Amino acid sequence: MQYLMLIRYGDEYRERLERASEAEIDAVVAEYAAVMEAEGTRGGAQLQPPETATSVRVDGQGGVLSGPLTEGDEALGGFYLFETDDPAAAREVAARIPAARLGGTIEVRPLVER
Amino acid sequence: MQYLLLIYSGEAPERFESLSEAERKSILAEYTAIMETDGVRGGAQLQPGTTATTVRVNGSGEALTTDGPFATTKEVLGGYFLLEADDLDTALEVAARVPAARMGGAVEVRPLVER
Repeated sequence: MQYLMLIRYGDEYRERLERASEAEIDAVVAEYAAVMEAEGTRGGAQLQPPETATSVRVDGQGGVLSGPLTEGDEALGGFYLFETDDPAAAREVAARIPAARLGGTIEVRPLVER
Repeated sequence: MQYLLLIYSGEAPERFESLSEAERKSILAEYTAIMETDGVRGGAQLQPGTTATTVRVNGSGEALTTDGPFATTKEVLGGYFLLEADDLDTALEVAARVPAARMGGAVEVRPLVER
């Protein structure tokens, strides 16, 4: 089963990183890299900030553009794609993602198999 | 530049269910066509929000898991495409082709941090 790990965070996470020392930041970056290299990780990326988002809806007149669709603590900051037969393993990896302990949340969502 | 196209379902699943089989097939073919579009590097449909588990870690290092998606608004993520495109306009053109965008949902286009 493949799982999308949705990393969501808002101001608390950003403020904690701003207050962190360089060594602490290096450690957090290394933790993200370690999750990227974990067995089962199939990909992942950090998104540019929510204010860079453009959203599209299509009505009878054509495309209608707006900004991000989620905000605050719900805003998506990044993701990993993870494959495992064991849902508990997916939750364990999710708990290793630094945002989970720095004021953010990780939403683990199974994908529809094709 | 790589872009993540986040498909927020809105009313699209209900509208999809109300369609004839032929109309549904045609919409699924549109999703397949996007998957096969130049520059599309991946994509998937997510299982419903009710299948989500949300994980946080508290100050003692304990993982706290709760059932359900974190976002309690109606903006539930239904799927995504990962797209490599020269510019935002190209990405927006692909986003506007996503059937959910005209069926009561919306597609949020977010550039990725390049590594």
